[in-house]
Amino acid sequence: MNHSWLKTNTFHHSEFKDLEKLVEAKNRKQLKISLCLPTLNEEKTIAKEIIIMKSELMTRFPLLDEIVVVDSGSTDHTLDIAKSYGADVYEAKNILPHLENFTGKGENLWKALHITQGDIIIYLDADIKNIHHRFAYALLGPLLMFDHIKYTKAFYDRPIAIDRKKIRPTGGGRVTELIIRPLFSLFFPELTQIIQPLSGEYAGFRSLMENISFPIGYGVETSLILDIYEKWGLDVIAQVDLDRRVHRNQDTKALGRMAFVILKTFFNRIERLEKIKLNTELFHEMIQYKLTADEYEADLYKITGDERPPMISIPEYCKKLNRQP
Amino acid sequence: MENILKKLPAFVDQIREIQEVIISNIVLIGQTPAPTNHEEARTEIFLERLSDAQADYCATDDYNIPIGIIKGTSAESRPPIFVVAHLDTFFNADIDHNFIIREDSITGPGILDNSASAGVLASLPVIFRKLDLKFESDIVLAGVPQSIGKGNLQGIRHLLDTWKGPIRGAVIVEGEQLGRLNYYSEGIIRGEITCNVSSTNGWEHRYKPNAILILHKVIDEILAMELPQQPRARVIIGKINGGFKHGVIAYNARLGFEIQSDSNNMVKRMHAEIKDIVNGIAHETHISIKLNIISNLTPTKLKYKHPLVKSAVSVMKKLGLQPASDSSESELSIFLVRKIPAVTLGVTEGTNVHLENASMKIKPMFTGIAQIIGVIMAIDSGVCDES
Repeated sequence: MNHSWLKTNTFHHSEFKDLEKLVEAKNRKQLKISLCLPTLNEEKTIAKEIIIMKSELMTRFPLLDEIVVVDSGSTDHTLDIAKSYGADVYEAKNILPHLENFTGKGENLWKALHITQGDIIIYLDADIKNIHHRFAYALLGPLLMFDHIKYTKAFYDRPIAIDRKKIRPTGGGRVTELIIRPLFSLFFPELTQIIQPLSGEYAGFRSLMENISFPIGYGVETSLILDIYEKWGLDVIAQVDLDRRVHRNQDTKALGRMAFVILKTFFNRIERLEKIKLNTELFHEMIQYKLTADEYEADLYKITGDERPPMISIPEYCKKLNRQP
Repeated sequence: MENILKKLPAFVDQIREIQEVIISNIVLIGQTPAPTNHEEARTEIFLERLSDAQADYCATDDYNIPIGIIKGTSAESRPPIFVVAHLDTFFNADIDHNFIIREDSITGPGILDNSASAGVLASLPVIFRKLDLKFESDIVLAGVPQSIGKGNLQGIRHLLDTWKGPIRGAVIVEGEQLGRLNYYSEGIIRGEITCNVSSTNGWEHRYKPNAILILHKVIDEILAMELPQQPRARVIIGKINGGFKHGVIAYNARLGFEIQSDSNNMVKRMHAEIKDIVNGIAHETHISIKLNIISNLTPTKLKYKHPLVKSAVSVMKKLGLQPASDSSESELSIFLVRKIPAVTLGVTEGTNVHLENASMKIKPMFTGIAQIIGVIMAIDSGVCDES
């Protein structure tokens, strides 16, 4: 396998900290840039993300043209807080409302394409405790400075908040190491060079994003990589080291459900690429057991693995943004 | 002064317009841990933020104190004005320094002591530009390390010891509470009494001396000390810890205390008395008890009629604040003892100051900042020069 991509397409955020240079490149290329924060009950972190991005990348350096929050139905104060700090806030169910309603991160990202204006869209998870504007500008850096790069992906050290008070300096990325990396090694060895394929922070040109389908849930990160790789090759992708990201710890069962969705997405893709042929249909339920009183009880999670088609195939979108299908 | 006062109410709304910049600085600085004597990371981010805010000159001195200077229009003839906030906090680095921002509050460890102040300080260059303010004097913005507890105000002591030339006046910024106006410091001696009962090899005597009980005896005798009504004086028993577990006699115990008085002689006399108590108990029990001084300050004050104090009162009243004065044993003492007129002001309102869930209100902060700027403008107009 050729490891050259890792050397040529891997960057460190510090390489792009000259924000004036990025603004100059943005203006020269006449690009608009949108930041999208998908949310579901993120009242503890959403304000911080909006405030820091607005302060640093809108007020001080005009890199971002809009900050958009797309919400999956929060029941806490996420929406009120986001509005109060000046983000454009949308409920996913109200975007393209005539379509069947789905709930999930991928759904929010897909619908963000419809309501944003940018030529480049940055997606950041909304639960980043140590948010810093490098999370956005570092992802923009390769897109603005290198013409051949069209999609960027974050990687970082992942300390985990183990309880309200303490953080553990290393860890995280368990689904990556136990699921994705073995699968990539088996089917797409080149893609193992992507250090954290499941990171929730990435940015890409609209011209790519509108031409690929979006699984509605956790599988979206995997599918974006596989589809971009399949259509445009690995060279359009870059990865950027963001140093450190503190995120919430998830229990093993939650990670299990995440792995289930990712596996479904992956099998779907490799079958479509004719790398394998499944002789059976995959089931739609993740089954986990819990001990209640003196017996085991099954928890069933129905995960159908629905996908949204490429946004360019939606007529309302083409009309609104004046795009040709 | 009237010209300054009439501008202030409008400042509040103008400052609010750039709230993202100020809150970003508070969060980015405050989420960087800075336990006393380990402030390097926060020093770096503070300096970076000052630089990003385009202060005219940014550097650290040989003691790693970060300073930003905004050049004055008559800096050759006017000494500089200092605006300082301490950078260190009570919290260790392994505590999750995560701030939560809601619609009108920011919550997290150290937010009021003293991240809010450090963030405001780092934002002042941007705020001055927003308000289109220029000053005759250089404005020196300093984030000082080694302030609290065993830091013993070493940061500010070093900064002022090595600063060449006169200083026109100073504003010390503290996170809480909005409305405070400190212009005097009591004399203090902050000390620690440690008691160590030596452990033996092999079997312990079942009823050997207990370090906690010995410190208990020390406390009893301190509480029995006769303190005068005039000059005012008191001993605060502020910290105590010791022992290992419930069923084992404590070998070690430590007591933190502070003597406070507006008379230096009284502070010294009480210290001598506590020393006698400690030596007496050590002599009678044959146990190792030691008294160590961690820090001391000489009492010092500006008079209420000092033009700086009067100006600060006018500024606060113009902004609808009711000044509340009390003694402050902080950077203020170090300025005043060097005959540099100075006051301490609070940035905002808040709760749980020294707890991990400390919380500051956002809206009052804009009034707090306008107040700080009003006092800086007053100093720049010459109120300290008259003294």
